[in-house]
This record gives sequence, C-alpha cells and structure tokens, in this order.
Amino acid sequence: MIMRLVSLCVAIVIALVFPLIFDGIGRKIKARIQYRMGPPIFQTIYDVSKLLKTPYLVSGGLMFILAPCIAFASALASITMLPVGGISPISFSYDIFVFLYVEAMVSISLMLAGFSVQNIYANAGANRETMLILSTEPILGVALAMLALLTKRLSIEGIAYTIGVIDYRLLPLVLIAYMMLVYIVYIEGGFIPFDLTEAETEILGGPLCEYSGRLLALFKWALLIKRFTLIWLLASLITIPSVAPAFSRINTVFSYILVLLFQLFIALVLYCSIVANEAFTARYKIDHVISLNKRVFLVSIIFFIVIAVLTL
Amino acid sequence: MSYVTLNYPFEPLEAPPEYRGRPRIDPKLCVGCGACSRVCPSDAIIVEDNYRDGLRRIKLDISRCIRCACCEEACPTGAIKLTREFELASPRKEDFTQIFELRLVKCSICGKPSDYTVRQVEKAKQILSHLPKEEVDEIIKRITVCRECRRKKTIRTTFESIPILGLIRA
Amino acid sequence: MKWTIDRVIEIIKAKFGKYIKDMYRPMANQVIIVMDKSAAPKATLFLLKEAGVPEPQLSTVVGTDERPIRGMFSIIYWVSVNAEGGDAWIGIKTYLHEDDLKIESITPLHPGANWYEREIRDLLGIIPVNHPDPRRLVLPDDFPKNIYPLRKEYDYRSKPTVTPRHVFKRPAEGTVIVPFGPYHAACDEPYHFRLYVKGEEIVDADYRGFYNHRGIEKLAESRLTYNQIPFIAERICGICGFVHSTAYCQAVENAMGIDVPERARYIRTIMLEIERIESHLLWIGIACHLAGFDTGFMHAWRIREKDMWLAERLTGNRKTYGLNVIGGVRRDILEYRKSLALNTLSELKREYKEFVDMLSSTKSFIKRCEGVGVLPYNKAVAYSTTGPTARGSGRRIDVRKDHPYAAYGELDFKVPVYKDGDVLARAMVRIDEVWESIWIIEQALDKLPGGPLRAEIKRIEPYREALSYDEAPRGENVHYVMLGRGNKVYRWKVRAPTYNNLPAVPEMLKGYTIADAPLIIASIDPCFSCTERVLVIDVRTGEKKAYTEREFNYLSIRKSRR
Repeated sequence: MIMRLVSLCVAIVIALVFPLIFDGIGRKIKARIQYRMGPPIFQTIYDVSKLLKTPYLVSGGLMFILAPCIAFASALASITMLPVGGISPISFSYDIFVFLYVEAMVSISLMLAGFSVQNIYANAGANRETMLILSTEPILGVALAMLALLTKRLSIEGIAYTIGVIDYRLLPLVLIAYMMLVYIVYIEGGFIPFDLTEAETEILGGPLCEYSGRLLALFKWALLIKRFTLIWLLASLITIPSVAPAFSRINTVFSYILVLLFQLFIALVLYCSIVANEAFTARYKIDHVISLNKRVFLVSIIFFIVIAVLTL
Repeated sequence: MSYVTLNYPFEPLEAPPEYRGRPRIDPKLCVGCGACSRVCPSDAIIVEDNYRDGLRRIKLDISRCIRCACCEEACPTGAIKLTREFELASPRKEDFTQIFELRLVKCSICGKPSDYTVRQVEKAKQILSHLPKEEVDEIIKRITVCRECRRKKTIRTTFESIPILGLIRA
Repeated sequence: MKWTIDRVIEIIKAKFGKYIKDMYRPMANQVIIVMDKSAAPKATLFLLKEAGVPEPQLSTVVGTDERPIRGMFSIIYWVSVNAEGGDAWIGIKTYLHEDDLKIESITPLHPGANWYEREIRDLLGIIPVNHPDPRRLVLPDDFPKNIYPLRKEYDYRSKPTVTPRHVFKRPAEGTVIVPFGPYHAACDEPYHFRLYVKGEEIVDADYRGFYNHRGIEKLAESRLTYNQIPFIAERICGICGFVHSTAYCQAVENAMGIDVPERARYIRTIMLEIERIESHLLWIGIACHLAGFDTGFMHAWRIREKDMWLAERLTGNRKTYGLNVIGGVRRDILEYRKSLALNTLSELKREYKEFVDMLSSTKSFIKRCEGVGVLPYNKAVAYSTTGPTARGSGRRIDVRKDHPYAAYGELDFKVPVYKDGDVLARAMVRIDEVWESIWIIEQALDKLPGGPLRAEIKRIEPYREALSYDEAPRGENVHYVMLGRGNKVYRWKVRAPTYNNLPAVPEMLKGYTIADAPLIIASIDPCFSCTERVLVIDVRTGEKKAYTEREFNYLSIRKSRR
C-alpha cells in the first residue's frame, strides 16, 4: 500500500517533469541533425513556465476553458495506471479499458476545444483529430486485445509481468503485437509524419490556434504528457519482462529504483529514435493517413484471429 | 562539424572586411562642400547654412542611411567613410545622429557670412598651390562674396558691360 | 523560315496597315507601333492568338500620363516573341484623349491581361470596356474613387482617404469560406486568398492583394535622380533586388544607346546568378517547411548561407548589393575574390548534391508535391505565365536564351523544362536551374574580361523610351522607362514576374484540399513585394480627411498656379 502511494507520487512527478525534458532533448537532436546548435535542453520548461504566467483570452464558451483542464487531468491520470518502477500506482483487473478510455480523453478534449470556437481553422483541425481518432483507436484496441489474449490478463501490470513468462513459441505473435503498438504510439503521439492536427503551416495550429497564455500552456503540457505516457507504456512492456524476474531477488526499494531507471533509459532511447526518424519525413495528408490506417486495421484483424485461434 | 548557427551574442561576431556598415564623418577632414548630401538617395545627410551665426551645420542621420556608400564615393577629402559597425540598436535617437558645424568664411566686401566654409577656401588654395600666391589670393577674394554682394556686383558689371548704358551712366 | 522582328512587323502591317500612324525602333529588337485606339487591342489579340508566332507573351501593358508632352494619355501593349521567334518585343501604342478614356478590353479573350487593365484603371482612370471583373485591384479600399495617383497632377505626398469597402466574389451553394491571410503562419508577406471549400476540397479562390503597395514608381518620378533609382529598385523585392536594379539600368541604357563595358556586363551576370541560387535555395526550403519537412528546410537554408556569405564578401551586403549605376557597375571583383568565389562554389556544389539526393529519397515529401496544383499548358499560355511556373508546364521560354542581355549571349547553359505542370515539376525546374547557375558563374569568372567598369554618359535626351527585361528567379521581369527632364525619369514601369503568375493561382487551386493550398501558392514562388508598387497611402497616421472631388481638384489647380 505504501509502495503504491510512493509510486503514485513518483509517477506524478515524472509525468510533470520528464515530458518537458524529453521534448527539449528531442529538439536538440533534431537541431544537430540539421547542423544547428538548437535550443538548450530545458527550453521547453522555460517556454511552458513563461506561458503559465501569461494571461489568456477566452474565445469560446465554458468548453473552451474546460478542455485544457480535462486534457491535463486525463494525461496525468493515464500514467498512474502504468507500471512505474515495476509497480502501478492504480491497478485492478480490467484497467486496460480504463487506460484506453482516459488516454482517448486527451484527444477528445482537443476535438471539443476545436469545435468550441467559431474559427474555420480550429474546426478543420478538430475534424482531422476526429478522423485520426476514429481510425486509430480500433487498431490500439486490437493490439491491446492481442496482448490480453496472449497473457490471459486484462490489467496492464499483469500483462507486463506475464509477457516475460509465456510460451516461447508465441514470441513471434508477441512481436507483432508490439510492432502494432509502436505504430499506434507513433500516430497517437502526434509525431511527424502524423502531426496533422496541429499543422502550423497549413491550418495555423488547428484546435490550438485560439488558445493563449495559461490555457495554451496546459494544453501543450497535456499533449507532451500524453506522448510520454505512450512511450512509457512501450518502455514498460520492454523493461519489465526483461529485468523484473532478475531483480525480484534484490531488496524492494533498490529493485524499484533500478527498474525505474531502466524504464527511463529505454523510454529515452525510444524517444530519441522516434525523433531522429521525425527529422527525415514530411507530413502526411489526412486521406493518406486514413487509407493507411484502414489497411493496418485489416492486417491486425487477421493477426488477431490467428492469435485467438492459437491461444483459446 | 561546423554549425550554421553561432553562439552570438554570447560570443563576438565580426563583419567581413567588405561589409558596408554605418557611415562616420571625420569632422577634421570635412570641408563642408555638401556633395554627399546631394548624392544621398535617402536624404540621410543634411547640410544647412545658418547665416546669422555664420555656421554650416552638417547632420548625418544613420537611421535614414541605406548604406549605399554613394557619399563615400562623392566625398573629395575622404571625410565620410562606411565603417564595419552593425550593432547599432539604441533607445535614444541621439545615438543615430552625428552633427557638427563648420565656420562660414566672411564676405570679402561686406564681412557677412558667405556661402563657403573656411575649410573649402583652404582646400581651394591647396588645389591652386601651383599658381603664385598673389594670383590665388585675388581669385579667392573675388569668389568669396555673400549672396547680396554677389547680386549687386553682377548687376553692376552687367550694367557696365553694355556700352550705351555705360555711356548713360557716365 | 526563321522568325525575326522584321517578319513580325510585316505581318502586322499586312493586316492592320491602314491603322498604323507611326513606327519607331528604340532598339534593334524593340519596335513601337502607334495605332488607332480602335485597332490597338485587336492588333494585340492578333499577335497573341492568330499570328502564329512562337510562344507569344503579353509581357506588360504600360499606361502613361503624357498630357504635359502631347496632351493625351497613352497605353502601350508590349508583346514579346520567344523560343524560336528570335529576339522581338512589339509595343503597340495608342493615344487616348482625356475626355474619352475608354478602350476595348482584351481580357475576355486573353485572361492574362486581367490585372493590367484593372491596374491602369485604378492608377490612371482609363476604363477597359467589357472587362469581366472590373474591381479595384491596386489601391487600398479606402482610397477615394475618382482620384488617380499616377496622373501628373497628383502629388506623391498626398494622403486622401474615405471609408473602405471591397467586394469579394460570392460563394457558391454549399461552400464554406476559408480565409488565407493577410496574417497566416504560411504567409511571409501579407496577401489574402479566399478559398471557397466543400469539406476540405477547394472549389474556387479569390485573391485580394497589393497590401505591400508602396508607390515606388511615383516616388521615382517625383524625387529621385537617375543614379539614385537603382537603390530604390533594389529594394522592390526582398530576394530579387539585383534583377530590378539591373533591369532599370538596362532600360535607360537601351533608351540612350549606351554601350556598357564588357567587364561590367560579366559582373552583372555573376551577381544575377548568385541571386538566382540563393532565391531558389530559399524556395526549396520554404516548400519543405510547408510540407512539414523541417529538416529539408534547415539544410536548404544552411547551404544558402554559403551563397549569402559569398555575396557579402563580393559586394558588402547579403542582399542590397548597391552595385548598379547607369552605364555599368560601381565595384570590381578583384583577384582574391575570384578564387574565394570559386572555392565557395565547389563547396556549395558538393553539399547541394547531398541535399538533392536526400530530398529525392524522402518519399513523404515527393508524395506531397506530385500531382498537386496542376496548371495545363494552354492555361499557362492564356495567363502569360513566366519563369519556372511556365517552364514546369512545358513552355520553353527563358529571357536569358530568347532575348540575351548582359553577358548571357556569350555563355553556355541549358534551360530545364518539365511537362507535368504540378508542384513537383516546378520544384524540379528550380532544382535544375541551381546547377545551371553554378555553371554559368564558373564560366563567367573564368572568362572575366578586363577593361573599364562604367561607360561615360554625356547626356540624357528627354522623352526617349525603351523596354528592358531580364530573367528574375521567378520569371520574366520587364521594366519600361521614358526619360524625362531635369535628371529625373518621366515614367518608370516595373512589371515583376509574379504579376503574371498570380492570376493563374486560382486555376491551380481548384480541386485540391486546404492542406495543399499553401504549397500550391508557394509553388509559383510568389514575391508579393515585387508585384505591388505604385503609390503609398498611409492609413495609419489617422489622417482620415475625406476630400470631395471638387476640393481635390481645387488643391491641384492651386498648386499649379504657384
């Protein structure tokens, strides 16, 4: 119980600070790829703290002010369901659905924000976000369902711990589920080439174009936390199967810290490789993304059926 | 690996030798001819005569300057040159203007200020230094007259040059 | 049989002989044919459509207030003959009397004349009869209706204003309007495109521009001398300044028959090509940025830095070179700078090759450009588009090859032409042109002859006129000059290439999505500052005095009495 409370505090602190630092590291990497010096690593922290001090203009109704708060709260809430240092602060047997749900709330509040103003660019951005969600959530659902079938667990902590000990013959299927998860993380994280919703040069920032000051800071922070959460999910699914069995023999606190550091390290590696890939692609158009998602969804259904047949 | 971005302003940056920066006038060399002001496309240099005090005021406003270097080409003494300075931001307008005054030479007839500066006369003497001194002094005396005297002189000599009128006058 | 200017003149004489009042040749390759008011538009249309000349182009239409000289207004329609047509510029001139300022519009049959006729109407008051879209083009919305700035009685310092009103096209049934500009992250200069959309697909577009209208032509006529104008010409555009100052100097040199020394011509060529390289690299960066590919943007501009740095070492400034004067150039390229230039170019070539390889292997970027914003060949001819926009649609025209100027007649280079007409074709034209430019500079530096830098000019004879032209990075840039008295020009008309290309953009936008709009608009490499300069009205000083026509005429009468 105490460990879960400690884990909760650690999770919240990590979720507040590390997404900003990771974003700073990402910008530095992109700059070096482009032969520039780039902003300092803490630049995103400076930006967000400055925005938090700036007053804001309200261009919509109540939804306009609520949307960033909902987004921020959901983003923070979603990381509490992931294993931090090997222990999920909040964990119960069906929490995988809740995770999906809360994660989607961030996108939905972005959509609502876009529709709450009378601005054609915000509406266009919200449209794009809707189409993106409608086409990616099914794939995320199938991917997590595959993992659930393979491990016979419906909680994230459970899946993470069980993947390490399943039948080695099912490993290729696990890898396929992981690959789909990586694809989802890419799209939902809004990395280039899928950063359509807030395309600055095309639709002036999409749903965010009417936001300023403190509300904009909350929204940006929420989006960065969402990105980080998805990467953290991937990192946990890699770390815990590989090192948790080994560390179970060591003292709890010590193993906790080690697992946490390992998770951070893997998260950093994943983030940097995604950013390096970002630097070399242009942005896709919405119809490209939707047709791509349709094809991936069909393929994923086929694999899902295969897994269902083999495991049941 | 050289980056295309530099750490300026945290490290100094020097402009290349051919860079055309802000112009500066050396007041010791300027003779007040006003060639720069006539050639300047943006009227950054203004030359004004103050006949009451006998001064010619030269005003260079680099906030109007387009750094074309036409003034540098036109100047006969090399007084105005474009430097390599480009870090010129300032909250005070006075930092952008250079003003100095040159004395106007006195009219050889009536003693009031004429249209030439003392330095211009000295430069003219320098250019004519191959002629004997008395001749040069005579030329200078004839040229340095103020406008009033010049008008009067012109009318008188024109009048006198027409034979009939000269006879009438006589 | 080869086409020459004399053959074209013969054809015109054969059909319109009885309407021709006068003909004179300001230069060997230019002819001004003075015709009746009724015949001039017909003759222009004949040349553009039926005469069968190769690649005819309506290059510019100049309106002048010639009342102080001969009591009438004049219009000259300049048509150029390109490709195998040899070097020919035909100016069909007609005079109009002040009481009957109407002329038949040629826009219904040749859409490329749309803007010219509207501009002449705004600035001089000459009304094009039967023009399909006679809205205000150039002057701001709060400029009074019956005041025409380019008339000689209008003082360049006046600031008349009334309440603003502009009429846009009405949207069709079921469409939504997406405003694009004047403030938008993708606009680097203020302009306003109205996109009429259904969902994300663009159905129609309307353009309202001329926010950058500064009154440069009127300024030059009012308060600048001949040798001061190259400096303001250089500041017409933020990228292609040197082509404007060169074109202006060439216009005066053409009018007076001044022979520019060889060394000066080569130096002008070298600087023109340096400008072309930096302009195209800038464009490639912008295209990448608009497609979301920021790495391409950063690398293109990093390579461009080498070119800008070279320009700074050669002339003293990255952009406003201040090199041109009438009769030649002011600064020399000394030996140590020659070797500097050659070293920089070889480094540039190496890095540019890596960059182009990377760009062509970035599938996501290529997919954004392919098949988007197509301008078919016949539309490109109808709008008289020019430069890479036209060459991307299959028109084989390039002023450097068709009408050689500066040192281009003595240098060897190719002109890339692509047929597809989409954004990718225009991008490929520009990418290939950078290679050609580097090759031209290397040749010119190698062959740089000795000799003086400026020709001596004995006198300037008033009221002589001539045209000059050069190939800006964006296309054909045409300047027309009529010399005046007192060390000032009488009329200077600048027609920058984007003026001809912008009217074609609504055609290119139809059928594509909002996401494509910035990329399509950027693909003509628009230079709005070049396009828009005649008279400045400062609304922001708060001077909102509304002059009635009587008050205003009284002011002008009073001025001429003084």
